[in-house]
Amino acid sequence: MNPHVYETVLDWIPKKSSVLDLGTGDGAFLERLVQSKQIRGEGVEKDAVLVARCVERGLVVHQGDIAEGLDQYSPGAFDYVLLLGTLQELMFPLEIIREAFRVGREVVVSYTNFAHLSVRLQVLLHGRTPMTPSLPTPWYRTRNLHFLSLLDFQDFCREAGIREVKRACFSASGAVRLLPNLRAEEVVTLLHQIGGQNL
Amino acid sequence: MAVPDIKPDVKIDQGDLQDQKISSYRSPLGVTDTQTARVEGFTTESGFRFDQLEVSYQTLGTLSSARDNAILVCHALSGDAHVAGMNPNTGRPGWWDYHVGPGKAIDTDKFFVICSNALGGCAGTTGPASSRPDTGKPYGMSFPSITIRDMVAVQTRLTEQLGISQLFGVTGGSMGGMQALVWAAEYPERVRVCVPLATCTSHSAMQIAFNEIGRRAIRSDPHWNEGNYYEGRRPAHGLAVARMVGHVTYLSAFSMTHKFGRKRQQPSLSRLDDAAMFTVESYLEHQGESFVKRFDPNSYLYLTRALDDFDLFDKGEVADIVRRIRARFLVISFESDWLYPPAQSRELVRLLKRGNVAVTYINLDTPYGHDSFLIENPPFARIMGHYLDHEYRRKNS
Repeated sequence: MNPHVYETVLDWIPKKSSVLDLGTGDGAFLERLVQSKQIRGEGVEKDAVLVARCVERGLVVHQGDIAEGLDQYSPGAFDYVLLLGTLQELMFPLEIIREAFRVGREVVVSYTNFAHLSVRLQVLLHGRTPMTPSLPTPWYRTRNLHFLSLLDFQDFCREAGIREVKRACFSASGAVRLLPNLRAEEVVTLLHQIGGQNL
Repeated sequence: MAVPDIKPDVKIDQGDLQDQKISSYRSPLGVTDTQTARVEGFTTESGFRFDQLEVSYQTLGTLSSARDNAILVCHALSGDAHVAGMNPNTGRPGWWDYHVGPGKAIDTDKFFVICSNALGGCAGTTGPASSRPDTGKPYGMSFPSITIRDMVAVQTRLTEQLGISQLFGVTGGSMGGMQALVWAAEYPERVRVCVPLATCTSHSAMQIAFNEIGRRAIRSDPHWNEGNYYEGRRPAHGLAVARMVGHVTYLSAFSMTHKFGRKRQQPSLSRLDDAAMFTVESYLEHQGESFVKRFDPNSYLYLTRALDDFDLFDKGEVADIVRRIRARFLVISFESDWLYPPAQSRELVRLLKRGNVAVTYINLDTPYGHDSFLIENPPFARIMGHYLDHEYRRKNS
């Protein structure tokens, strides 16, 4: 993942807040959050080997499949729920977002923009499923189940009754402000729920 | 969810340490001893008063000057106080020597480890085989019914005698895990870290059913004699059958296939004499026979009853019970454990988390069934070791 995404999330999360990191991997980023923001953090990870790495870092971690829900957490148990690069790997993103807003007040999502110029060109000129620095694996090995663009995500938010409060877009060379749906490789966004609509 | 360090074909021939003759096994602790404490005036949940109890226990490592590094290890059904180091009486290593010792998961260079034989047991703590003070004869079935909470209450008295007002940690698997849960729920100020392994908050019908088969085997042995067998022949056959059934439930289909398959103990010409048997039969027979030598059948009845009766949440609302908990938790289950299946641990974790307890949960893919916590298990040991280390440092920071 683009390191700017992590820096942005570090910037957005206030000190001493409570954070649930869904798909926390080896816990490297959650550990940074705990250390630099003194948050009360918890990770959820499916892979036992990665869960073990989280334990070695001294993190609170739960081995489980996000797709099976977050029933173990009470409503509003966390200030922030993170879905960094995770949402596009899950079969039912709407259900996950719903669960994330049940257990958290605010939700941070990052995803790879499938409408980036180089992606468009590869499809158009080569006629093959694109591989880019932010989409590095061939179609038969990628963990992504969904491919979406920035505009797709805006539609998704409308559908789900959620509002993008903050958004940051990045390419390999840094922040993207102009024409993000064409120029951004990765997008990170802070979401609020709009009065329970559609959720 | 594969754990790459564990290959299913590695170490599959090992069992738990207690019932295996391991001639080459060396404990880094050398020979270790148990001691006996006396607890004056103890009343069970059922209202029976003992004027005095004997409690067999072992301590390893050194209690820190702040008295803040004690870890209580609670043993499972067939365990005893001899948790690690070589037992001078049997020549065998303690039942958890793989994971308790210098540099091990529960590091005796850092922690002061305590393990006591459970109330109702038969390895030095007062149980059905102990003498009644009024008659001088064994209690037998006049021993009062006991509970997991009674076992823990005895342990609280022991830790008080050892001058420890708060344990750093309490851990155990199976029956030991139930005791760890009771410590955290009912003595919240006395536990900082709770590590229940392969356990549950109450037995399912299946778990009760297997225990009842064991109990029935003992009770229907002609030598059981309503529990009065201490002066004559013991119901060894019934206890052996109970152990055989129990042992099968501690293994997994995978480990049994790899360990025994359809191998036969010796080439067989005729099965009529019942002598040439499948290796698994001979293994179970050995398990039964060796268990009979060290375990009291009446203890088996009392302890399995305590297991079946246990319900962590039968004294009030779940939310109220969980809210009192102060300890942080590491909960571990094993994918191949069908006796205490991972779903039971997940439910425990769910209830704890819903009460805002800090719980780390991992379900390890080790293929050895319920026994997974007793055997050499590097992924398990690493997680346990790192967790205790981090929590001890957190406490002191």
